[in-house]
Amino acid sequence: MKRFLETGNFAITEGAIMAGCRLFAGYPITPATEIAEAMSKNLPKVGGYYIQAEDECGAMHMAVGAAAGGMKTMTATSGPGFILYADPYGWAIGCEIPIVVLNSQRVGPVSGITGAPGQGEFYNARYPTQGGNYETIVLAPNSAQEAMELTVEAFYLSERFRTPVTILADQLVTDGLEDISIPETDEEKEAMGLRFMDRKVHMGPDFYPATDEIDLPPTVLGKNTGAMCSDWTPTEEGYDIETVEAHHKPSYRMIYKIRNHTDVIARHETLFLDDDPDIIVVSFGTASRTVKTAVKKAREKGLKIGMIRPISLWPFPDELFNKKSTYLSVELDYDGQMVREVERAMPCDSDIHFFGKCGELPTVAELHEIFDKLLKNEPLKPEGWEKEVW
Amino acid sequence: MDRLSKKYLRARKIPSTACSGCGLGQCHKALVLALDELEYEVNDVVWGTSIGCAGRQTFATWQGDNFAGTHGRVYAIARGLRLAIPPKMKIILTVGDGDAFGIGFNHLLHAARSNAQMTVLVCDNLGYQSTGGQFGWTTPQGIVTDSSPYGMSEPNWVQPEMDVLAMLKAAGATFLARHVSMDGVALVKSLKKAVQNNGFSLVHTVFPCTTNFAKNALGSRNAVNIFRWVKDHAAPMGEEKHNTLWRTGIYHDASNSRPEFSAALRDSVAEIQRRYQHEGSH
Ligand code: SF4
Repeated sequence: MKRFLETGNFAITEGAIMAGCRLFAGYPITPATEIAEAMSKNLPKVGGYYIQAEDECGAMHMAVGAAAGGMKTMTATSGPGFILYADPYGWAIGCEIPIVVLNSQRVGPVSGITGAPGQGEFYNARYPTQGGNYETIVLAPNSAQEAMELTVEAFYLSERFRTPVTILADQLVTDGLEDISIPETDEEKEAMGLRFMDRKVHMGPDFYPATDEIDLPPTVLGKNTGAMCSDWTPTEEGYDIETVEAHHKPSYRMIYKIRNHTDVIARHETLFLDDDPDIIVVSFGTASRTVKTAVKKAREKGLKIGMIRPISLWPFPDELFNKKSTYLSVELDYDGQMVREVERAMPCDSDIHFFGKCGELPTVAELHEIFDKLLKNEPLKPEGWEKEVW
Repeated sequence: MDRLSKKYLRARKIPSTACSGCGLGQCHKALVLALDELEYEVNDVVWGTSIGCAGRQTFATWQGDNFAGTHGRVYAIARGLRLAIPPKMKIILTVGDGDAFGIGFNHLLHAARSNAQMTVLVCDNLGYQSTGGQFGWTTPQGIVTDSSPYGMSEPNWVQPEMDVLAMLKAAGATFLARHVSMDGVALVKSLKKAVQNNGFSLVHTVFPCTTNFAKNALGSRNAVNIFRWVKDHAAPMGEEKHNTLWRTGIYHDASNSRPEFSAALRDSVAEIQRRYQHEGSH
């Protein structure tokens, strides 16, 4: 085991290379630039390539292009670059090409605040491209160590599901300096729960059957299989076609290969849910770190408060919200994006409230004040904003 | 085309899905002929296409590996793919004028800058024809299209003083040529040279669109008229006439004069790896 005091950016690079990533294409953007820098330094040492593209749209297309040629590849960006990924995301989802994408969220919209954490791409990550008819896999780390581990997992899932897997991090995860353990031996990797999968090659000549199966090898160009992949609706052979009947098949595949195998993807952390807590706090990413401290301290004071932290964020883990309670979604945005998902998933006789911060983490004191108000049935006034429903 | 079709193309896609009378087939055929004359096998090529008539009608015609990229992005896809596939395999791209000179121009310039091996055959139907016939970046001035109903008033990128090939040359392209689709032998010759350049090659080829361009610009879908019109407005470089729009021939040939993108990157990575293993430290 190697131990470092390093940033999340460094940890992510180590995880990617460990998972077999041999090409990274990027475009400088705060706060994800350091991943590109670390990749440009470390990939060549293991025979891998770093490409700096003309823009983010080009960067992800290059990474997907290389992945379509059989390489394990990755790209990383932040919000303003993430929206330029919309185009290649669609291509990778539709052609069913494995690739890992990291988004270190900052404060938006547009350029916003560049060097501070946000969580405004909760829904963007679910719908990274247009057109619908697909499910997405999104993993949300809350530390440098977990970012390393989830990078490895993202590569593993992308191979099994033949699809882009998004790591939805934030500025504190990627920039934060933390203790990181990098396993070296197979035993150490296994003990850490890391999973690996090599690239396999679909031998064609057909594209894919209409099935929700995972573990079908992806189509790979350049292997003389007669492979065909395109941005159009494919027939089962891979030809372009424009009929509703034909479109049904790939749509079914893109949705249900993920929807029917959430057990392979699901990860979460929960705390104190066994005694029907009065409040269940829901949060992900770095926001969950102060939330966890606040919940633990509240317990010490005798308050019945629990916590749910989805780690696999999409598909959204509805099954975790099966208890009647008062839910509190704590997010790094002011618009309460996750509120809607929690509200949808929780029992109908539960309540949902929201506390949002942006560019900085909620403090334990702030959270305790909120818990207090909720327990007394007082309305929340986060930063002077009264939300009638929440 | 029978022998060539059997050897290289997929029965399902031949005859072509293009409109009857369309000149795209001439571009397509010239490229397949060039590959045949160079004695390429199906497995020596990965064939990529874009959006629009040029892309859609040529996608999955090749018996080997095929892809169709998002609009304007195939040049970026190709640069990534270039690093993943065997260096000896050629990437061939059949794309439209809107794709190359409009939405994808930034990616195209950077593909030229990096000299990534790809043979880009720009099949130019003088505008956006698959969407019904709007003007593009090579539409001649004065021409009526669905989005220039009073005649195309903007300048275009084949005018001598602002030729897109000059921009691509300045951007680093190592082989550039321009033709009209009825150039036949000369077009095949240019395409052969383009494919033999281990670097970025682009052959700009204007072809007659009978369905939309001809209907708007000439007021008729008569194939003979539009074929004659395109031919009349083309002349070899140095033999221009008063009405010449397209100066044909090899515009720039610096084939194999500078390192190819993926080869250079492979070499540099191998060198770093050697040094790193030698030093054995971070
Ligand atoms: S619209 Fe024009 S360019 Fe397109 S296939 Fe028909 S004739 Fe050819």
